[in-house]
Amino acid sequence: MNLEDYKMPFPKQIKKNIDLIPNKVGLARRKEMLQEIEQDGTFLPKSVLHADLDRGFLDFVKDKLGFSVEGKQVPVVDIIVTTQNWAQFTQTYKFQDLDKNASPPFVTVVRSHDMKYGSYPSTVYTIPERRQFFYAYVPSFDGQRTTVDVYQIPQPIPIDIKYTLKFICNRVREINQLNKVVLERFSSRQAYTKVKGHYIPIKWDNVSDESVMEIEKRKYYIISYEFTLVGFLIDEDEFVIKPGITRNLQLLEATGGKARRQPRKPPFNTDKFYENVLFLPGTTILSDKFSEKVNLKLISSYNISNYEIWINNLYYGSNSNYIQVNSGDSVRFEVTKKDDNLESKLSFQNILV
Amino acid sequence: MASNKVPITRLGKFFGESDFDLELEMGKEWLHGDMNFTCVLYKIDRYRTNTDDVYGETVQDGIKFHPPIEFKAYVKIIGTENKFLGTSKIEQLEPGTMQLSIYIKDLEMMGVDIEYGDYIGYYENENRVRYYTVSNDGRVTSDNKHNYGGYKPYYRTIMCAPVTNNEFRGL
Repeated sequence: MNLEDYKMPFPKQIKKNIDLIPNKVGLARRKEMLQEIEQDGTFLPKSVLHADLDRGFLDFVKDKLGFSVEGKQVPVVDIIVTTQNWAQFTQTYKFQDLDKNASPPFVTVVRSHDMKYGSYPSTVYTIPERRQFFYAYVPSFDGQRTTVDVYQIPQPIPIDIKYTLKFICNRVREINQLNKVVLERFSSRQAYTKVKGHYIPIKWDNVSDESVMEIEKRKYYIISYEFTLVGFLIDEDEFVIKPGITRNLQLLEATGGKARRQPRKPPFNTDKFYENVLFLPGTTILSDKFSEKVNLKLISSYNISNYEIWINNLYYGSNSNYIQVNSGDSVRFEVTKKDDNLESKLSFQNILV
Repeated sequence: MASNKVPITRLGKFFGESDFDLELEMGKEWLHGDMNFTCVLYKIDRYRTNTDDVYGETVQDGIKFHPPIEFKAYVKIIGTENKFLGTSKIEQLEPGTMQLSIYIKDLEMMGVDIEYGDYIGYYENENRVRYYTVSNDGRVTSDNKHNYGGYKPYYRTIMCAPVTNNEFRGL
C-alpha cells in the first residue's frame, strides 16, 4: 500500500531518514556523554587546554562552516598562523598562485591572544580556592588487599577565546555563500564544537567588511566573522588520586570527675511568671516581700474557703482575684482552710509592670 | 557624421604639425626599435561572456575575450609590497602595479582602444606572463604632461593592477 495510491500527502512529521540505533535521551544520554569524555583514556577526563580548544574551533570551521564554490571546496588554512612563517606555507601550498601567494577564495582563522576569565555559565565564580571534588572510585589492588582509589578533580576554569574567521575572496556570490552557512549554523544563537567529548559552545559576535578596495591596486573582499568560544580548561596535573579508606578504627576516651553543670535556661517569658503560695497543714498565715512592681492575678486556689490580703500591714481586701503590688511591698495572706489537716495553695500569675 | 577638424596652429612660430610628427616618429623608433616592450591586450567580449545577472561577475575562466593584440608601450612596474592580506595573518608578496605609456597614434593605427577592465598580459620571461587589469585607462590627456609642449596629446598613461589566476589567466 502506498500513500500516493490514495492521493494522500505525507504527514508533515514523517522522517525520511531513520536512525538504526535510536538516540538516547535523559540519563542514558548523560551516561553516553560521560563515556565519550572518558573514551580511550583512564577513569579521569582528559586535559582540555588552550591548544585543544583551538583545534576544536578549527575543526568547527572546517566541518561545520565548510562550503564549496563552483564545485570546489573552499580551502581552510587549518592552523592558527603564528610568528613562524614556514607554517603558513605548509597549509597554503595547495592553493597558491605563481607568486606563491595564497590564492582566493580561502578561509583563515585568527585568534586573539588576550584571553580572559570566561563566562561559561556553570563554572563561573562558584567554588573558591580550587577545591578538589570527588570524581570516581576506582578499584585497585595493593598486593594484599583489594581496595579503591578516590579520584578527585578541581572545578574546570572558564575561559573565553575570541576567534576571527577571515574569508578572502573576489566574488560577491562567494560572500553570500559563506554568510548563508554561518546564518544557518548560528540560527540558534550558538553552535557547538566537540573537544575531547565535551560540547563547547561558540557564540557569533559580529561580522564586518574589511575589503581592500584601493582603486589602483588589486581588489579583493575580506569578510571578518568574530566568534567567542565559551570554553573551560581542565588540567590533568591538578587531578588528585588518593587511596580510599580500607579500615576504620574508632577510639572513645572517657574521663571521670564531676559532671559539668548545665547552664541555666532563661525564663521563657520574663514579663510573666507563676508563683504558688503553699500553706502547709497548721499554717494559715504567710507573708512575702516583692522586689518588683507586679500585678498578681489569681489563677486557682486549693482547699481554701476564704482568704484576706494585707499589704504593708494595711488591709487590702478579701478573696481578690487581682492584686496590685509595688516594689518593696510586704504582702500577707491569711487563709481559712476547708480542711485544716491538709495543705492549701494559692496560684498566681505575676505580671511585671 | 562628418566631424569638423580645426587645425592646431598654436606654437606655430617655432613648432608645427611636421615637427610634431617628426618627434613622434623618433619617439616611436626609440620605443619600438630600442625598448621594444611588448604587451598583449585581451579585450573582453561583452557579448560572449556569461555574467551574473545581479553582480555582473563571471565564474573562473568564464571571461571571453577577442583575439589578443600585441602592442608596444613603455612599461614601468612598481615595486612589490610584502604585507598581510588585510587583517588576516596570511603574508603575501603583493606584486606591484604596472604603468603603461602608449602612443595614441599606435592605438589609432591598430584600430583598438584600451578600456577600463581590459586585461593586459606582460611576459616577464619566456615562460611566465603576468596578467593585469586596467584600473585607469588614461583616457583624459588634457594635461600638459600628455601634450607635446602644449601642442597636442600624443600618449596615454594607463595604470594596471595585477589580477589573480581565479579572475583571469588568459585561457
